[in-house]
Amino acid sequence: MPALETLHGLRVVASPAVLDTALWPDNATVLRLAPDDVFAIGATAEQAAHATAADPDAIIADESGFVGCWLDAGQLETVATHIEWHLPTQRPALAQGYVAGVPAKLWLDTDRALLLCASPYAADLIERLK
Amino acid sequence: MSDTTGAASPGRIVVDGRPIPYQAGDSVAVAVMRCGEHPKHGGTICLGGDCPNCSAIVDGVPYVRTCQTAATPGLVVRRHPAAGNPSFPAVAQPDITRSPVADHVDVRRETADIVVIGAGPSGAAAADAARAEGHEVMVLDARDSNEVVAIYGGPTVIVRRPNGMLHVHAHQVVVATGAAEIHPVCPGNNLRGIITARAAEQLHDAGVDLGNAVAIGTPPQGVPCTAVAGRIVRFEGTDTISAVVTMGDDGLEVTTPCITVIVGLGFAPRDMLSRMSGGLPVSVVGQAAEKFPLPPCPTAGTVCPCSRVEVEDLEGVWARGFHELELVKRASLCGTGTCQGGVCGPHLRSFVADRSGEVPEMFTARPASRQITLAEASADTYTDVFRRSPLHDEHLALGGQLDRFGGWWRPWNYGDHIAEYWAVREAVSLGDVSTLGKLVVSGPDAVELLERLYPTTVADIRPGRSRYVLLLNERGHLIDDGMICRETETRFVLTFTSGGAANAEMWVRDWAETWGLRVHVLDRTMSLAAINVTGPLASQLLQRVGLVDPPKFLQHRHDIVAGVPCHVMRLSFTGEASFELHHAVDRSVELWRALMEAGQDLGIKPHGLQALFGLRLEKGHVIVGMDSELDSTPRRLDMDWAVKMDKPDFLGKSALVRTAELPDHRRLFGFTMQGNAPTEGSPIWSDGNVVGHVASSFSSPLLGHAVMLGWLKHTPVPEQVQIDGRTASVAHPPFYDPEGRRARA
Repeated sequence: MPALETLHGLRVVASPAVLDTALWPDNATVLRLAPDDVFAIGATAEQAAHATAADPDAIIADESGFVGCWLDAGQLETVATHIEWHLPTQRPALAQGYVAGVPAKLWLDTDRALLLCASPYAADLIERLK
Repeated sequence: MSDTTGAASPGRIVVDGRPIPYQAGDSVAVAVMRCGEHPKHGGTICLGGDCPNCSAIVDGVPYVRTCQTAATPGLVVRRHPAAGNPSFPAVAQPDITRSPVADHVDVRRETADIVVIGAGPSGAAAADAARAEGHEVMVLDARDSNEVVAIYGGPTVIVRRPNGMLHVHAHQVVVATGAAEIHPVCPGNNLRGIITARAAEQLHDAGVDLGNAVAIGTPPQGVPCTAVAGRIVRFEGTDTISAVVTMGDDGLEVTTPCITVIVGLGFAPRDMLSRMSGGLPVSVVGQAAEKFPLPPCPTAGTVCPCSRVEVEDLEGVWARGFHELELVKRASLCGTGTCQGGVCGPHLRSFVADRSGEVPEMFTARPASRQITLAEASADTYTDVFRRSPLHDEHLALGGQLDRFGGWWRPWNYGDHIAEYWAVREAVSLGDVSTLGKLVVSGPDAVELLERLYPTTVADIRPGRSRYVLLLNERGHLIDDGMICRETETRFVLTFTSGGAANAEMWVRDWAETWGLRVHVLDRTMSLAAINVTGPLASQLLQRVGLVDPPKFLQHRHDIVAGVPCHVMRLSFTGEASFELHHAVDRSVELWRALMEAGQDLGIKPHGLQALFGLRLEKGHVIVGMDSELDSTPRRLDMDWAVKMDKPDFLGKSALVRTAELPDHRRLFGFTMQGNAPTEGSPIWSDGNVVGHVASSFSSPLLGHAVMLGWLKHTPVPEQVQIDGRTASVAHPPFYDPEGRRARA
């Protein structure tokens, strides 16, 4: 398993309708954690503010509380043996649930996947996926 | 019994410390019987995996059915004790601050359209039929080392294999597990030398000489033996059978000398797996679905060899009024042992049918159908995760003794909690409070939301100021506490206790949604770390690392500390000047080390929870869940000062109004006592009666006596009580710096 590294990004909380139509840079990885909550990797605060301009009360905050690693197909298969729920078949997709008993998320892209969890869980996730 | 093959042995197993040879294909039970021994100490042997009479300790694992265990070179077998239960391996867990480590058992997951359990004729037919319909079929049979031990919802079929567990997710399950043979129940049925007809066939085929054998009932095929008519009355012998006594239709007893009795007494469906899968798409075929006649009602002898339940035990239970199968089972424990009714079930049903006049259905089965190890049962499951703060390794490096609190690993102390205490009271100390709940609430209705949520006034908190708050539920009971920090007119940062953070977040979100208020909520609990810099020299330390003008008491602001952007909150839980530095988790180690380095000549030390609990107790600060109870109102906690009843409304207000005039005999009080602090939880006595208990206690180094918070649940409240055999005085906290000068300094 690759090492889990801190994922630097932005947490953006805004109204679901605004996030539904928000435009993000092509190079950004945008994870919709909840209808009103986004974790955007690779976007600047200015871009986030622009994306959520229709919601003046949006919260935009630096986020370094997640750690993660990119997985190839074989590594994802290994991780999947530690998951009791069905992975979505659609791509891209964000899946959230327990991985090896640890609350985690999987951003499933076409040819790779980002495994991430909140940093307080990192040590256990690494240990359990060994 | 003895070996007749004369073949060279491929190896030896070790039984009770004695190496014994086995033949190719032998199970452990067959190998043991080949040597003339009984795999346990007596009782009918079926070799079908249906009874406990061959179970032994195999390679350290008790309750292994040796008829289902292949003999392999060097396998260590210890027979269970003749009386009592086998001892389980000692589990060493010397360090409770570490996660428990269990034997690792691999788990493989597979899927199948249809799982067929049992590869006998009916199972094979079911599998063929399913395949013909185009289904993907998986056949599992214990004889192929795929022993199904449970069926759960899904359905999910749990399989034990030599190299681990297999969890099969299926759309449909077919149980084709055949039938088990009926064991005899009569006096002497615990002797050695009784085998079922199928077992006799197996042993004969394996080249085991059964000696002078007689057969009663349906005889085995191809096994030399003498058939004896009639029903069994009793077996005779001391440890081993010497004769069997039967009775024919003429009513006369006939004694037949022998060393082996082969019994063919009929069958019972081996349907335990189907009985544990009610409501699931599970069907039963073949003998497992058949209705076999019950054996005669037992009149004497052991009914349940697992729990050694005798017929007279059942009669005693019946006489006491337990007249249903489930009740007889539970009252007698017949059917609750390792075979889960495999042996006793038919006899138990017959017993109840004889007395009640109705044949009861077999009782419900529950996983697992076989004795499995805890490691097998828990395979692929995980213990709860306890979160680690970003300073986890720093604590360990400083000698921190970590333990689990509120879902986190937290330092209890660093080896000397008294030294940590003095660092806070006289110098400066760091505490890791990263675990505190942290919520950002923003939006035009943020004030409205918080005014409704909290019993204190929120609108008058100016930006840059903060306030201590209680969080009450609709009944006015305390569910959490923390701080409100106002950042702007429409944005607030809320803090909560470490253990209550998750519930508090849901509480805030639920009510915001319920009330339809325009707010956004962002949980920062695991995104932000926090270090509490506390002590009379805290300001001095912070000035050294760049915070030139630290905020005043109950002020907060964003600033740079030791090069790290921080949200600095001035408050106090320890009773000394305290500054919480909330910052990004990935900068936490850097900030911690900078503070520790800068404070060396100031006597800086980290403090753990043990010191913190004492420090706050001297101030009389309540810890929610430790000092409070589930129905603690502010009045009971003597915290009415934190409730503004003149507010238009807040959650819990109507309950507080309603109960304000009612008498209340339960109150949290402070206590002082000479000597060491009593154990938390100690009863509080008055006039020979228990009137309450100690919630928190601490031997105060500064005050030189014990201080406590505790509940008194009777009125009138005495001035003095007895705790731990000593006299304690009821007092009103804070015990230390009651004017709060040091916190504000």
